Amino acid sequence: MTAEEDLPEVSGYSRVSVLISAVVGLAVAALSLFWAQGLRIGYESLYRVNPSVEGGGIGSDWVFGNTIPALDFLIALIHAADVIMGAFILVMVFIHWAAFQRLAGQMREPGEDVSEAVAADGGSPAGGDGQGGDGA
Amino acid sequence: MSNLDHGKFTRVTTLFHSLLGLDVFLLFFTGYAIMFNDELWWMLTLMGGASGVTAIHRITGIGLVALVIFWITLQIISSTGRSNFSKILPGKDDIDAFIQDIQFVLGRADERHPSARQFGGYKADEVPLLSYIGKGVVFIFSIELTLLAISGLLIWSKTGLAAMFQTKAAAMAFVTFHGLLGVIMLMGVMFHIFEHGMHPAFYPVETKAFIPRSMVPEHHGDEDEEPDTTGIERLSLSPSWRTVSTIFGAMTVIGIVSVLIGSIFDEGYPVPRELAIGGGPSSILLTVGINLGMVVLGVGLVLSMYGNVLRIRWEQQLEEEREQPTAADGGEPQTDGGQPNADDAESEN
Ligand code: HEM
Ligand code: HEM
Repeated sequence: MTAEEDLPEVSGYSRVSVLISAVVGLAVAALSLFWAQGLRIGYESLYRVNPSVEGGGIGSDWVFGNTIPALDFLIALIHAADVIMGAFILVMVFIHWAAFQRLAGQMREPGEDVSEAVAADGGSPAGGDGQGGDGA
Repeated sequence: MSNLDHGKFTRVTTLFHSLLGLDVFLLFFTGYAIMFNDELWWMLTLMGGASGVTAIHRITGIGLVALVIFWITLQIISSTGRSNFSKILPGKDDIDAFIQDIQFVLGRADERHPSARQFGGYKADEVPLLSYIGKGVVFIFSIELTLLAISGLLIWSKTGLAAMFQTKAAAMAFVTFHGLLGVIMLMGVMFHIFEHGMHPAFYPVETKAFIPRSMVPEHHGDEDEEPDTTGIERLSLSPSWRTVSTIFGAMTVIGIVSVLIGSIFDEGYPVPRELAIGGGPSSILLTVGINLGMVVLGVGLVLSMYGNVLRIRWEQQLEEEREQPTAADGGEPQTDGGQPNADDAESEN
């Protein structure tokens, strides 16, 4: 069998739709660039302070400056969202970590004799570190 | 069985994934060099200081706008795209898959649910386009990227900002909001890298997002013969997997926890919301942790490039096989240690 014969038939995206989408994407990007930047050369510096804040003295401005309570609330909200999503993502990391340990336990150990491993019971051979791979 | 498993994505999707990844990594590196400038001072310096970093962030920001709009348009105007919509909706299978993953971890289930399975193997036909994690990733990343692009453009436009906020501080608060929004994406991508880099059957990288479906030969066993297992027990574990996955898993966890803590302390760039003395930024532990998180992202960037190297090699091999049809199929497509050897491939139907 040649490689060609067993390659699947795939109906992907048509050239035209890819092309149109690319043009739309670039056009919108160009428009938003124009809107955000105008035709000025260089980048704006009005509202930003150098990231390394050595100057000081801006703090008082901050305390009295943020007069929009909604924005304060928005920031509190997004903090909460970050923490909740962070906890959730951590749980997902741990589940996958543990699942991977178990799957690894089902696999052949590196260098394991191929002929004996045909008995596919998924158990780790003796000498494995026993992590997870109890083969149920 | 090819160790590539069944391909899922089209060539356009795989290329899009790589471009999006590259762009988002650059946005991460520059954006968080600003937000965590205490901890990532070296990155800030490396990328040309304040002006260099913000310039790169803006250029890649425009790139992100182009990519996001491209993708949305493509999904709407093409039939392939429209047929995707039903495939990303969460269903009962996804809840079952989540529960079964927990059971699998606890040893109460023998295998992962098809809607959770990354390695399909002999049972690849059961595996849907997206796992339950995949669906969640699509939702979270889409919402995040859209909101980040909108808020980013608003910050950029002086007139836009001035129209919305009267004071400098209020404008800065909006920048903070934009940065905090990205933290979810940041943590999510770290998990994404761990998930697709450290699966023992695919280690060091799962090629599904890199080698398009059109290039993955499909072998179907005798139809009447239901496979009992995915066949994962026939694959050999890479000698380095245990060590590397443990270290990388730890780095992922530390990275996520650190950027989360950092985002709470460092939020008020350039001035903390409450003018606390001391606190997070000076902590050495936090500095180490956030830097480890950046290493995780760096590994992701490398893996994404490596995935493309594998695609090119795979393409070349397909070419060669076409030239000499006598060559046995299913030869060793990848050269790294952890992959199953040619024996596995040939013994399969
Ligand atoms: C910022 C960078 C990235 C973004 C925004 C991104 C985004 C996505 C999205 C939205 C999906 C589809 C949903 C899913 O299946 O999870 C996906 C799938 C995938 N990504 Fe990424 N990705 C990034 C980086 C990476 C990296 C570094 C790797 C390699 C280690 C990777 C490997 C994969 C794989 C293998 C899949 C297919 C998963 C499946 O079986 O469904 N991605 N990615
Ligand atoms: C994955 C997407 C993105 C992430 C993770 C991200 C992250 C960040 C972060 C962390 C900051 C610093 C916030 C702070 O100081 O607290 C920032 C600032 C900024 N971002 Fe983004 N961003 C993203 C996309 C965009 C896009 C699409 C644009 C514009 C089109 C954009 C424009 C800006 C601008 C103008 C700033 C202010 C920089 C300055 O201080 O001059 N960002 N971003």
